Amino acid sequence: METSDKKAQPAPESRFTVSAWTLATDRWMGRVIRVGGVGVVLAVFGMLAFLIFQVFPLFTGAKVASVGVLKVPATAVAFGEDEYGDIPYVVLADGKVVFQRAKDGSTALEWVPSLGGRTVTAVRTYPRAGQVFLGLSDGAVQELRVVYRSSFDAAGKRTVEPTVTALEPMQVGRPGLPCLEVWNAKSPQARLMLVRQEVAGQPLLTAVRLTERKGLGGKAKVTQSEPFVVAADAPSVAKVLLPSTAESLLIIGKTGEVRTYADDGKGFAFLQAFVPFKDSPDAAITAAGMIFGNVSVVFTGRSGEQQIWSMYPQLQPDGKSLRRWGKIHHGERLAGPGAGIYAAEGNKCYLAVAAGELRLINMTTGSLRWQGAAPQGAITQVAFAGNYDRFTALSADGQLHRWTVVDHHPESSWSAFFGKIWYEGATEPAYTWQSSAGSDEFEAKYSLVPLFYGTVKGTIYALLFALPIALTAAVYVSQFLRPEYRQVIKPVMEIMASLPSVVLGFLAGLWLAPLVDPRLVSLFCAIGILAPAALSAGFLWSALPQRLRRQVAPGMEFLWLLPFLALCAWAAWQAGPAVEAALFTVKDSASGLPIADFREWWRQTTGETYDSRNSLVVGFVMGFAVIPIVFTIAEDALSNVPNSLISGSLALGASRWQTVWSVVVPTAISGIVSGVMIGFGRAIGETMIVVMATGNTAVMDSNPFSGMRTLSANIAVELPEAAVGHTHYRALFLGACCLFLLTFVINTLAEVLRQRLRERYKVV
Amino acid sequence: MPATMNPATSRIQVRPSAEREGRKDYISIRDYGFWYGQKKALDAISLDIPERQVVAFIGPSGCGKSTLLRNLNRMNDLVDGISHEGDITINGRSIYDPGLEVISLRRRVGMVFQKSNPFPKSIYENVVFALRVMGVRDRSILDEACETSLRKAALWDEVKDRLQDSALGLSGGQMQRLCIARAIANRPEILLMDEPCSALDPIATGKIEELIHELKEQFTIVIVTHSMQQAARVSDRTAFFYLGKQIEYDTTEKIFMNPSQAQTEAYISGRFG
Ligand SMILES: Nc1ncnc2c1ncn2[C@@H]1O[C@H](COP(=O)(O)OP(=O)(O)O)[C@@H](O)[C@H]1O
Ligand SMILES: [Mg+2]
Repeated sequence: METSDKKAQPAPESRFTVSAWTLATDRWMGRVIRVGGVGVVLAVFGMLAFLIFQVFPLFTGAKVASVGVLKVPATAVAFGEDEYGDIPYVVLADGKVVFQRAKDGSTALEWVPSLGGRTVTAVRTYPRAGQVFLGLSDGAVQELRVVYRSSFDAAGKRTVEPTVTALEPMQVGRPGLPCLEVWNAKSPQARLMLVRQEVAGQPLLTAVRLTERKGLGGKAKVTQSEPFVVAADAPSVAKVLLPSTAESLLIIGKTGEVRTYADDGKGFAFLQAFVPFKDSPDAAITAAGMIFGNVSVVFTGRSGEQQIWSMYPQLQPDGKSLRRWGKIHHGERLAGPGAGIYAAEGNKCYLAVAAGELRLINMTTGSLRWQGAAPQGAITQVAFAGNYDRFTALSADGQLHRWTVVDHHPESSWSAFFGKIWYEGATEPAYTWQSSAGSDEFEAKYSLVPLFYGTVKGTIYALLFALPIALTAAVYVSQFLRPEYRQVIKPVMEIMASLPSVVLGFLAGLWLAPLVDPRLVSLFCAIGILAPAALSAGFLWSALPQRLRRQVAPGMEFLWLLPFLALCAWAAWQAGPAVEAALFTVKDSASGLPIADFREWWRQTTGETYDSRNSLVVGFVMGFAVIPIVFTIAEDALSNVPNSLISGSLALGASRWQTVWSVVVPTAISGIVSGVMIGFGRAIGETMIVVMATGNTAVMDSNPFSGMRTLSANIAVELPEAAVGHTHYRALFLGACCLFLLTFVINTLAEVLRQRLRERYKVV
Repeated sequence: MPATMNPATSRIQVRPSAEREGRKDYISIRDYGFWYGQKKALDAISLDIPERQVVAFIGPSGCGKSTLLRNLNRMNDLVDGISHEGDITINGRSIYDPGLEVISLRRRVGMVFQKSNPFPKSIYENVVFALRVMGVRDRSILDEACETSLRKAALWDEVKDRLQDSALGLSGGQMQRLCIARAIANRPEILLMDEPCSALDPIATGKIEELIHELKEQFTIVIVTHSMQQAARVSDRTAFFYLGKQIEYDTTEKIFMNPSQAQTEAYISGRFG
């Protein structure tokens, strides 16, 4: 061939070359698809990473750092400080108050009491209240008020100036005897001052009540009660615990016996005595402390064991339930005999001092927040700042040790989220979710277990309802129904699948629940009759002579089956009240007359609750959300079974049902399983229906007539009100994490199962 | 195309057979017509099939061979809008007898399909399927039936060590023999085969043909085939159909050596089809 020919015929090879445009499109589309795919994977992992990032701080514990030691006079016996810890003060054994600047140790103020010949024999400070109590040698008590005045100079610099005001001494103890210890507390009605003295080696506790009345001119008038003796029956007094509310009193004896008293308006009445370490060789209590909230006490013993006792309602022999002290936790054993228990402010943490070691422990969960070395000298007092970001300790060698605390989630731990926890005031350990309440002293409870339970419960109810319907419908539609009807039913089901769940939830909560509520028995009858009715219809049908049966084309049987079923259901619905009257008649608790009411019957016979928005309603409506999904996927799988297998089976003399059961279903099983699993996933993650159709109470019981709260509904309901970064907020994210994990595990299992089944039943 | 005899015809060897005569008619089809909706697929078919013989249905595509075959065990019942005239009797009883359950008819009349269709189950379960749906639970009966049918289907030696393996791991020829074993496991009387070898290679085809020859001892076999050679090799009698009509039905020898109809001759000599 000549070259000129080639030129004459422009590029004869061109019909084989691929146009640049095709290649470029190909390349570009390849890239776009890759970016999309990678993007999806990244998005999923990003979500997971975000969740973990949100949840991680819950499990990091506390960070405690020493921020210096302040040298104070060696005779310091108590201390206090301002809000910022800038100018702490110590009270010396002689009653002198010395303020020192934290940053350089310089003295800011020295205040000397004028006692008129008396001496100071006892000192107690209440740093948070700015109160100092001096017990005097004649049984009187003098209260000092410490106030820090902030002022700002022209440059806007803050200067803090402490002042001390001495109040008139008050005779609390028996005159002439020195006060050995002094306490102060304040109930809503009155203030209480308590002193310990000794008469011939025997302890004497005397208290005075101060009632403040606002006078006409707005001037407060304080009336002082006569001194009264408390706990006169206590054989020995090693330690006195007086809650800041003054409503009870605990006297710890030298032998380890705890005697408790309760404020009865006049004085303190004996309540209960117990020995926490009665099973130990040495029952002595080496340290004890009242935890914030004034309901629980931590006791430590000689060998470092810890017990936490709390007041909670207990059933008495006479059948009444009374608030009594009882042990709620065994703390982890400390390194040595406990030397001090100091409660934090605002939460349930406490600092335990033992064998040269400091441990910051959460009382409720028992989790160790932090652990560190104790300072050299014996610690005599520890005070936490009100917002739990600092604590300060005074040691006997005249040093004030100061630490900062970073612990955003003191109440969190694995056991708090997943374990059974005995909360203060509860009668037993329980899984509880209760994230907020009215009072400040309320302890938030973040157990995810009831939410798991609710999730699983809701899912099971939904699947119990949905799976039989969806799967039998899929089998029927794919194998028995005529194709014309199938073509109608499939799109209808798909539309049903796209119904927003908020609409379903709305229908469930506002329409279905109230509708079903009074006619529950009718509903049960109507639903219960369907299966036997369908079965007996089948039986009747097979009993009919061939000639009659031939009249109905195969696949058209539903034309007479449906009216038959509807009739049965209607009859059962109508018979409902009669059934209810026959089976569920109980005595009305209000009027005493017999009434036929299933709800009342349920409450009375099972002792369980009955909510009108209950699990059945949720299961029913959630079932509606699940049915179309399961149906669509299962139906696809079933109708994809090759016809050759069906004819093969029929030709071998199998009935249609045998064919379906032993050939079609096994062949389609992997598709059916994925349908079920996707339905499961949908039910687990379903939110709006549960939010709207239940009372959202995080209860844990299998009672079908109680509500539930699911993980997802919990997030939807509470996230808007959770403070960002707060434990509550992160606990919700932890719930989301669990949900993620749950669906991940289930989907993975489902996929593995599906692959296995597919391997086993793969079709040629 | 020359009107002389096609070389193909001369290659067809008809197996001489002595046992062809003297068998009583077992299936008889009388004036049988069949419609798919408005479309008449079979017209005035009348033929008798003797017991324990092999009858081949031949004819060009779409002439109704499969339709007739599938009517013998009423596999067409599931098709919409079918109707028929005339009658088919098996052993004297009409298959349309209202008292006759289709299922029992199908237990009597086994079928092997054009494309092998083993179930996605083990080899064993495939073979005993018919027994299982009949309600046989006894393991020893099932085992025995499995072995005998696989032996009859000449598959036993190949699969006896892997009965619990999936049937889908077999080769095409093995699968088809498995389908035959499956069809004979509940000992039907009649075996219908719709082009059982059309998807198989010559060696597998040969095996199946041998098998048909042996099965004839026990079963009445109706086979649809596209291969003239196959019809000649395996069958005792041959029916030729054209456009839904039965053109000629006679002994295979007669059909292939000396057909009485010109259309038959034209078809077997390969002039159309
Ligand atoms: N299920 C059916 N519905 C309607 N027409 C059919 C059906 N099966 C076969 N036919 C028609 O009936 C005629 C005979 O078909 P068939 O028996 O399969 O022919 P063959 O097996 O001889 O090739 C053909 O025209 C075919 O189109
Ligand atoms: Mg055919």
